[in-house]
Amino acid sequence: MPGQNGERFHAATSLTDAIAALADRGSAGAALAGATWIMRAPLRHERRDLSYVAISKIDELRRLDILDREISIGACVTHAELASSLGSLPECRALAQAAVNSANPAVRNVATIGGNLCASAFAAADLVPALICLDAELEIEGAKGSERMTVKRFLEVRTGIGPDRLVRRVIVPRTARRSAHIRLPLRKAGDYPVAIVSLAATLNPTGVVESARVAVGSVEPVARRWEQLETSLVGHSLDPRRAAEQAERFCGDFLGREGVEAPGWYRVKVLPSLVRRAVLALQEQS
Amino acid sequence: MSLRLVVNGEDRVSRAEPLTPLVDVLRDEFHLTGAKVACREGFCGACTVHIDGQPVVSCLVPLGMVEGREVRTVESLAAAGELSPLQRIMEEHDVVQCGMCFPGILMVLTSFFREHPRAERGEIKVALVGNICRCTGYERLVDAAVALAKRS
Repeated sequence: MPGQNGERFHAATSLTDAIAALADRGSAGAALAGATWIMRAPLRHERRDLSYVAISKIDELRRLDILDREISIGACVTHAELASSLGSLPECRALAQAAVNSANPAVRNVATIGGNLCASAFAAADLVPALICLDAELEIEGAKGSERMTVKRFLEVRTGIGPDRLVRRVIVPRTARRSAHIRLPLRKAGDYPVAIVSLAATLNPTGVVESARVAVGSVEPVARRWEQLETSLVGHSLDPRRAAEQAERFCGDFLGREGVEAPGWYRVKVLPSLVRRAVLALQEQS
Repeated sequence: MSLRLVVNGEDRVSRAEPLTPLVDVLRDEFHLTGAKVACREGFCGACTVHIDGQPVVSCLVPLGMVEGREVRTVESLAAAGELSPLQRIMEEHDVVQCGMCFPGILMVLTSFFREHPRAERGEIKVALVGNICRCTGYERLVDAAVALAKRS
């Protein structure tokens, strides 16, 4: 059902306008950010008959602010903008690497961080595990006000978040950490990754891991933390071989999703190698 | 409902549905058939055009999101009848085979060389990861692009 004035497509000019338009459409409406996921709906044999509210022209949603303690990323910031803005920040390396390696340059110029988070059927989204490992949070805006939640919580509730609410911005805390994003596509580039490991760690002055966050993407339908592995990394120095051995021990935590590009068992099997490469990448960030 | 956009410097109006892929409007309504339709999922790059100077895959861009923006297609590269330096060197190296991927490759490299005029071979290959050539003529076109970079 289109909006009350019959529109099937509305280009919102402000956040208030977007939320009002979404509320007007109710369950028959949806926000449209970069559109790269929704435009492919027919190829997935999905319907594309909602009334769309385009949000990519809203200035506030296109802002990326690097503040002293956090980075505020508007929902419509593209992968290309993320890569160019965050590439020089060591504490955000995982997110910059995720952004610069996803899809291909022409898609990265359009696809947004908000779209990557909201495409609930897209298991291979690169930005999601990177944001999880960096302890990012989201701000959701709606007619009744805003709500802040972790990425983990958002992934749990995103399909039922309500038609009149949208992701306003992503907040990444700035802390003295090292991070890396390691992905395995079947081709060198331009392909969806079979599996993703995003790793962030803080080290004490002697090089011992004080805290660790490991997030795994593309293996299961939804990206998530690998908490057993995180615990096993804390209290030890960065050792790629040991980390891979620990990953091998805990691989049973995952049930790989089947797909035309790779069977489920293969996605799980490659995890120790990706963990080893992630720890190696952190070692090199001295 | 009509939507206004600027295509190759000309004001244009389309009456297509706002979710119509831009590539279909360019080809079917404006008869600019340089951008090719192949995969329709952003993988092959054959439909690449510039929007506000940035290369994008026009199969994934709905018309409604281009309103008021500037679109440039491969037809704009030799608008005055004279080939661009990139087009000339591709011709010199006899790069074109079937021509399906070629317009997209020209649009990607035109944008890329604007920012990286002296790019190395590896950088050129990275820039082209989103362009698939079904004739597999990659090396010859990369050779041509390298030659252009060396002339800069």
